[in-house]
Amino acid sequence: MVTMFDRRALLLGAAATGVLAAPWVRTAHAQEKTITLMAYTGIFEERYKAAVVDPFMRANPGIKVNYYGSPNSAQSLGMLRAQKAAPQTNLCIMDASVAKAGTDEQLYDAVDNARLPVLAELNPMAIIPGLAGPAVTFDSAVLLYSAAKVKPAPTSWRELWKPEYKGQVGLPAAPDIVGLALTMVADRLAGGTDFIKDPSKGIALVGEMAPSVQTWDPKPDVYSAIISGGLTLGVGWNARGQLFSSQNPDRLGVTLPEEGSVFQINTLNLVKGAPNNDAALAFMAYALGQEAQKSFTEAMFYAPTNAKTQVSAEALARTAATPERMAKMIDVNWIEVAKVRDGITEQWRRRVINRR
Amino acid sequence: MSAALLTRPRADWRGGTVLMALLAPILLVNVLTFLAPVINLAMLSFRGSGPGGSIQEGLTTATWTSLLTDSFYWEILLGTVWTSLLITFLTLLCSYPVALWVSRLGARWRNLMMVVCISPLLVSAVVRTYGWMILLGDQGFVPGVIRAMGMTPPRLLFNETGVIIGLTEILMPYMILSLLAGFGKLDRTLEDAAGTLGARPFTVFRRIVLPLSLPGLLLGCLLTFVLAVSSFITPKLLGGGRVVLLATEIYDQAIVTLNWPLASALSILVLVVFGAALAVYGQLSKLVD
Repeated sequence: MVTMFDRRALLLGAAATGVLAAPWVRTAHAQEKTITLMAYTGIFEERYKAAVVDPFMRANPGIKVNYYGSPNSAQSLGMLRAQKAAPQTNLCIMDASVAKAGTDEQLYDAVDNARLPVLAELNPMAIIPGLAGPAVTFDSAVLLYSAAKVKPAPTSWRELWKPEYKGQVGLPAAPDIVGLALTMVADRLAGGTDFIKDPSKGIALVGEMAPSVQTWDPKPDVYSAIISGGLTLGVGWNARGQLFSSQNPDRLGVTLPEEGSVFQINTLNLVKGAPNNDAALAFMAYALGQEAQKSFTEAMFYAPTNAKTQVSAEALARTAATPERMAKMIDVNWIEVAKVRDGITEQWRRRVINRR
Repeated sequence: MSAALLTRPRADWRGGTVLMALLAPILLVNVLTFLAPVINLAMLSFRGSGPGGSIQEGLTTATWTSLLTDSFYWEILLGTVWTSLLITFLTLLCSYPVALWVSRLGARWRNLMMVVCISPLLVSAVVRTYGWMILLGDQGFVPGVIRAMGMTPPRLLFNETGVIIGLTEILMPYMILSLLAGFGKLDRTLEDAAGTLGARPFTVFRRIVLPLSLPGLLLGCLLTFVLAVSSFITPKLLGGGRVVLLATEIYDQAIVTLNWPLASALSILVLVVFGAALAVYGQLSKLVD
């Protein structure tokens, strides 16, 4: 009985304390703002949280950032479309070509220098006409190879067409942007001059490579397939390639071939109508600022979009933004590419993927 | 008598109300989770798709026109139906002897073997598909065995062969379960009678076992065909991007190309294929009965 009485007294006391403390608890909750950032899942999530999200929350104790991992930009866009009536996501990192569709559907709030002064520090390439959000990372397409099997390291994209690698090549097919990027490079190799107007030379050349391709959909990804020995050559992105290569230097090599490559751009978009967008703007300012850009570049080798970022020489050498690599880049307007993507995909299906 | 006449309609009315009350929750669930999304899907297929995957305002028949006039999509439709029929046939071929054997075991062993047959269902299809990727890959077990026999192994992964092998194994438990249900009708005394009258084992099988197991066989074929048509993960993983079926095409249009109207139209097309399969099943069931 004594125990029961004690327990009852304890419960009553706890309830009374709760009731009395409620106004203060509510105030404390009201002070903390929660925002949701949707971006890539996997290694990107792991590195971005450690390099950007966690330091931001430490510096801004009143803002909690939930990271929602999405497998790719298209799925992120699908999620934003589904939430259009009542957005639950404040910010979204996605590829520029997909962000164009979101901008056209008015899913985002455009930001300008008045709301986000850090935009003035960004590389001019980071502000893309027709897109609501600025670029947050730069990357480039690269040739991936098995460091154990391919010696010396390849220096040309033409390695993909060599007969000795028949059945050992893998890359994601168009409409994946890796496939599109390779088509642009192939178009340049085949003597094409305007990829947007006429990509036929590039598609024909990729078609010639098709019989060598083991898979157009490497699983779980092209990097792991080469590391595990399933593939010998592949096409992927520099940042991820460099990261996996730094972890498996004997198995995966990354090279930016002498014929050049194309940039890939991730944009950071503010979702229209989401709650706590003032806190989301504060996160945007931080994510585009020099501290976060340096931290993430050194964590995952994406090139920074903030022109004032000072990155260690070692990390910079692995990014797409070294002066030598910048000089090799093929000029691509991804917004224009997005307009012709469907047509190129159809050509891939009819003239590339089915070729044996 | 007159009292009974007076009370019966009321009892029927009450019975009807109770029945409706019992059916209402499942009807509501079906309307909310099946009918409404299908209607939404159908409406979405009449919206336009802009560059980069944006969905345009207003209704248009452009998506349906392009779908029905483009030979590429007809090839995908016919390819899907053909591949699914082949998988159904191979699944039946592999499952029938197993199911017949299990059905003839003693009660104790039958239960145990039934559990063994359906135990693959306890493992996700994704995991089993990855298992096949390891077995069929260039350095995998199956090509290794073929090489050990002094032959050059054909490519078994990232093509139609891989998809057909993987799906046949993955769908076998469904076929076996349906066949076992059908074998319940089989009376061993009929076979014994045929035997005593001089019928050979194959004749017994052809004239007695097979006809009596047809209802279960048809159900198994329907189930397997429908599951093969709607399979997405296995063709995606084992096909290596080369095997384009309706389900993988829907995924690509919805998730990669972002052409939601086309993905919706293709989904409706899959429903039509299912409807046709059900109609054929209904007709064949009538013939069997």
